[in-house]
Amino acid sequence: MTPPPVITAAAPDSFTTAMAPDLIASAPDLPDLFRPVRLRRGLWGFARRHPAIAIGGALVLAMLLIALFAPWLGTVDPTALAPARRTREPSAAYWFGSDMLGRDIYSRVLYGTRVSLAVGFSVAILASLAGLTIGLVSGFIRRADGLIMRVMDGLMSIPPILLAVALMALTRGSVGNVITAITIAEIPRVSRLVRSVVLSLREQPYVDAAVAAGTRTPMIILRHILPNTLAPMTVQATYVCASAMIVEAILSFIGAGTPPTIPSWGNIMAEGRALWQVKPYIVFFPAAFLSVTVLAVNLLGDGLRDALDPRMAKRL
Amino acid sequence: MLNYVIRRILATIPVMAVVALFVFSLLYIAPGDPAAVIAGDQATPADVERIRASLGLDRPFLIRFGEWVWQILHADLGTSIFTNLPVAAMIAQRIEPTLSLMAVTLVFAVSIAVPIGVVAAWRADTIIDRAIMAFAVLGFSVPVFVIGYLLAYVFALQLDWLPVQGYTPLSEGLEPWIENLILPALALGCVYIALIARTTRAAMLEVLQQDYIRTARAKGIGQPGILFVHALKNAAVPIVTVIGIGIALLIGGAVVTETVFAIPGVGRLTVDAILRRDYPVIQGVVLLFSFIYVVVNLLIDLLYTVLDPRIRY
Repeated sequence: MTPPPVITAAAPDSFTTAMAPDLIASAPDLPDLFRPVRLRRGLWGFARRHPAIAIGGALVLAMLLIALFAPWLGTVDPTALAPARRTREPSAAYWFGSDMLGRDIYSRVLYGTRVSLAVGFSVAILASLAGLTIGLVSGFIRRADGLIMRVMDGLMSIPPILLAVALMALTRGSVGNVITAITIAEIPRVSRLVRSVVLSLREQPYVDAAVAAGTRTPMIILRHILPNTLAPMTVQATYVCASAMIVEAILSFIGAGTPPTIPSWGNIMAEGRALWQVKPYIVFFPAAFLSVTVLAVNLLGDGLRDALDPRMAKRL
Repeated sequence: MLNYVIRRILATIPVMAVVALFVFSLLYIAPGDPAAVIAGDQATPADVERIRASLGLDRPFLIRFGEWVWQILHADLGTSIFTNLPVAAMIAQRIEPTLSLMAVTLVFAVSIAVPIGVVAAWRADTIIDRAIMAFAVLGFSVPVFVIGYLLAYVFALQLDWLPVQGYTPLSEGLEPWIENLILPALALGCVYIALIARTTRAAMLEVLQQDYIRTARAKGIGQPGILFVHALKNAAVPIVTVIGIGIALLIGGAVVTETVFAIPGVGRLTVDAILRRDYPVIQGVVLLFSFIYVVVNLLIDLLYTVLDPRIRY
């Protein structure tokens, strides 16, 4: 495309130059409004356009690989006791030190990645599916809407951590029960979001058109509603994942989460609690891993939000 | 207006009813036998029976629920399985540190978050804005106990400026009370500050584009006047809303913060109750905090009409 002629001020023009040479000379170079479009392709181009997705995604991928390949990353049995070598400082033999039972913290932290990611991803998927179902029913069946939303209001007024604590107090500690408890605490927020998206989509002209054309409700949901809920749902799912990992760590930390026999970041920190003033590294390493992982998932979520909904990007 | 207030207060009744029903039915819908889980692995069948009877699990659900609601309406939250003390009295004994912690956090979080949110909106898309928003993402990502340990390590252990742990009641003087609460409140406040700052920025960005802001500027009102009087006033509703919603974060976070800083509050009570599987105590704590949360948000709803006279019901 050829740039319009008005843009460049520095172009020599015999008439104006003769009139006021100083003025022209001091006129600033105006920015070129139509910069040549440089197509950025490939992975690098994508990373340049969406740095948050790239950084967050890369970190999440790294954590996934750590979780998958934990046994081959120089770890030993994370539950092996060695009372004679307890509370060693970080060294060549114990990269992150050893805890008060002589277990290798490096191995425990790496294996702990598995619990955190499993809980985060499972809760994100389960809460999204349940929230999607409840939100769709609530948005389409007017008679059910009032009742469902009152129940969701009630559940939402219980602070999520307390809700999970109450559920965990009545069941035997296991990773499955932790996932269930956190999922129940997260469902109301997701269903609310889906419901509000469904209600606004129902007013769209193309939905009216489909209704007028005689499309049946299940088909309308499948064709017109569901695809449009996917973008906000994906963004919400990443935030649910991040919050689930924090809640899991908190539950384990206060003794209401993953059973102590399974190494999880919250458990390692709970065990380091009594000694943290003299042996801060026991708490430090799992804390750092947890923070970096949650940060990565949040970055991914922010990046997805900006990429999928440019209108929101300007506001938040 | 009065009509609205009454309707809004009545609307909280079904919400609290759902909370009560949910917390109560957990005993019945939990997988396995809750009485056996609570009694623990070393319990004899007689122990399990005793717990079953004290929880009322041997009687029909509806009758038991009716009795229980009647008790709660008379401020009786039941009896602890472990100590045999009334739950309401146990909570009352421990409530001061928790309320102190939450109040101090609330005050200082709001007084930090709102100004930095305003500045971020004013300097939108500059390095200052980016830095504040980056801090907000960090605040969302670093869990409260990690911040707690970090602060305690730096400011208490290394620099020795503040006490590491513990709590001093307000009756023993303002200074020791606040000294013990600074680090816990900072730790607990991080997520809350991030949340409020983000919302403040978003609300302010919207308001700063309005015509009346341009008019105010044309009249010659200075930047601080525009930001903190004209704009902030009109951005108040979403900010106040998120302050209310965020109370849930404070309540959940208080349990953890009290554990990190060894504060003998309701959070510690909850953690001890989890270890002993003292369900009546947990039930009482959940009910009380949900009630506080609902009431706070009710008050905020009623505050809308004061903040924005355009809102009429």
